[in-house]
Amino acid sequence: MSQNLTLTYAVFFLFILFVNGCTTNSTTAETGTGEELIEKALAIHDRVLTVDTHADTPLRMIEPGFDMAERHDPKETGSKVDYPRMMEGGLDAIFFAAFVAQDIRDDDGNTRAKALCLQMIDSIVASTEKNSDLVGLALNPGDAYALEEAGKRAIYIGIENGYPIGKDLSNVALYFEKGVRYITLVHSSNNDLADSATDPDGTEHGGISAFGAEVVREMNRLGIMVDISHGNDSVFYDAIALSKAPIIASHSNARAVTDHKRNMTDEMLKLMAENGGVVQLTMLSNYLREAPANPKRDSAIAALRANMKPASEMTQEERRAMRKAFNEIDEKYPSPPATVEHVVDHIDHIVKVAGIDHVGIGCDFDGGGGIEGVFDASEVMNITIELVKRGYTEEQIQKIWGANLIRVFKEVQAVAEQIQSDGLS
Amino acid sequence: MRRLLFFLISLGPCAPAASAVFHPLRLSLCEIEYTPGTQLLTINLKLFLTDVNEALVFDPNSKELAFCQPNEPAHADQMLLDYLDQFFYVKANGKRIDLQIKRKKLSGDGENTALGVYFEYQQQQPLASLEIKNAVFTDLFFDQNNIVYVHVNGKSKSMMLNKKTTTHQLTF
Repeated sequence: MSQNLTLTYAVFFLFILFVNGCTTNSTTAETGTGEELIEKALAIHDRVLTVDTHADTPLRMIEPGFDMAERHDPKETGSKVDYPRMMEGGLDAIFFAAFVAQDIRDDDGNTRAKALCLQMIDSIVASTEKNSDLVGLALNPGDAYALEEAGKRAIYIGIENGYPIGKDLSNVALYFEKGVRYITLVHSSNNDLADSATDPDGTEHGGISAFGAEVVREMNRLGIMVDISHGNDSVFYDAIALSKAPIIASHSNARAVTDHKRNMTDEMLKLMAENGGVVQLTMLSNYLREAPANPKRDSAIAALRANMKPASEMTQEERRAMRKAFNEIDEKYPSPPATVEHVVDHIDHIVKVAGIDHVGIGCDFDGGGGIEGVFDASEVMNITIELVKRGYTEEQIQKIWGANLIRVFKEVQAVAEQIQSDGLS
Repeated sequence: MRRLLFFLISLGPCAPAASAVFHPLRLSLCEIEYTPGTQLLTINLKLFLTDVNEALVFDPNSKELAFCQPNEPAHADQMLLDYLDQFFYVKANGKRIDLQIKRKKLSGDGENTALGVYFEYQQQQPLASLEIKNAVFTDLFFDQNNIVYVHVNGKSKSMMLNKKTTTHQLTF
């Protein structure tokens, strides 16, 4: 009964989304009633393999007592992915990223980063083993299809930030053996492999370091996808030049649509197409649109502050009351969110610049990703609905939702086999 | 004493401007370390400065507390400690540690400026257990996540604490 109500509500919500979006239809947009279109989109969504290349859900897995087999309320807990919601959203496969925050780059720090990374990877593997009736650990491109056929979700492993490699190249093979199939070279600060797009100190290596180049070669040899998200622009160009296999951006958007240094320029998108790689669109509001003004909230906050006594003179009780008042204003005037229309604006642009074969989806759930309409894993079908609304065909949607990434993954493995074969001969 | 140079971390853009609903992931870092040789238990909190300002003076962009600046007011540390006292503690062998700020440091820039707050505690008895509460900024953001890294006797462990799961105990 409650499931039926949920479904009814979901379809109504999707219908409202559709109606609201109708005014922006392009000339190639799909025609038909809203209900017919949603029905068509959901059928496509059900038929195609859907792959999300980036979720920081392992951070949730290390929360004491967190159970991936339970459905969590994202508005209560902030959690965006669990296995029930993957099923609800029709999300067939996901890359869980083992993330270790950048810390000091010495032997001590590297050893600790490795231990923490292995703990994360072990938590992913343990989760798949504990929930083997729902999911399976996926290691190869074909595993996603096989698991989908078996009615299970495919769980791939990535590493976000090459920091846990430290200065020991043999760690790359260790992580591969553990199941890691992509490594994001760098995160929010420079590391020993590469420069970050967001390090306040700017560039350190001029892109990928000499050691980072060795790591890329080792990833090519093993069949690990090279992920340039979070790297600065030079990291992208270096990776294109160094990698013998196509590269990926596991969660990045188009800079021409939203000017953010984590997003990719048109020149980079064109090069990505020449490289045969893929850019995976992410659901981070700040990468999807310029944050709009919120004047009503700003006025209400200013008025509250104007009548506030100095915080240092407040009693705890007064502070609690003031906090409540501020929170109520935030709830009354929430920031206008990014929407699924923004997501598909970026897809439209990447398709126009790089082509339909070079774009995919990497939501960054549990890492900041989540927008109106695609707030968590249970709502990813809304991307498909918007794509159908704008006239994308099933074949195109299939490419966007997974076939492009799987193609790159296969090519990365083929290159690895070739390198290993050449090495043996 | 180990150098703690926590760099700016963020998962995604992490722009910490206050808003109630659709916003990036809220995050803080805490690193706790105990080395038997030195009998020193160290705690390093890494907090976005805008979150600290929002929590203490209700304005993310306030300059009032001027942490780590020459004009930092005398009451700034006490306000910070009063706040932490409500949302953060570490118990060593069941005894709550009296947090005294050893030093503070700013890193990063703009909206990603982070305030590092470093504590030291002499733990002369062998460390048998640690209980950690870290609910900082859960009063501001329903989806605040606080990553805790623990390094004890050469072994490392990470955990995530938040509004739902504020506390966790480790035994050694």
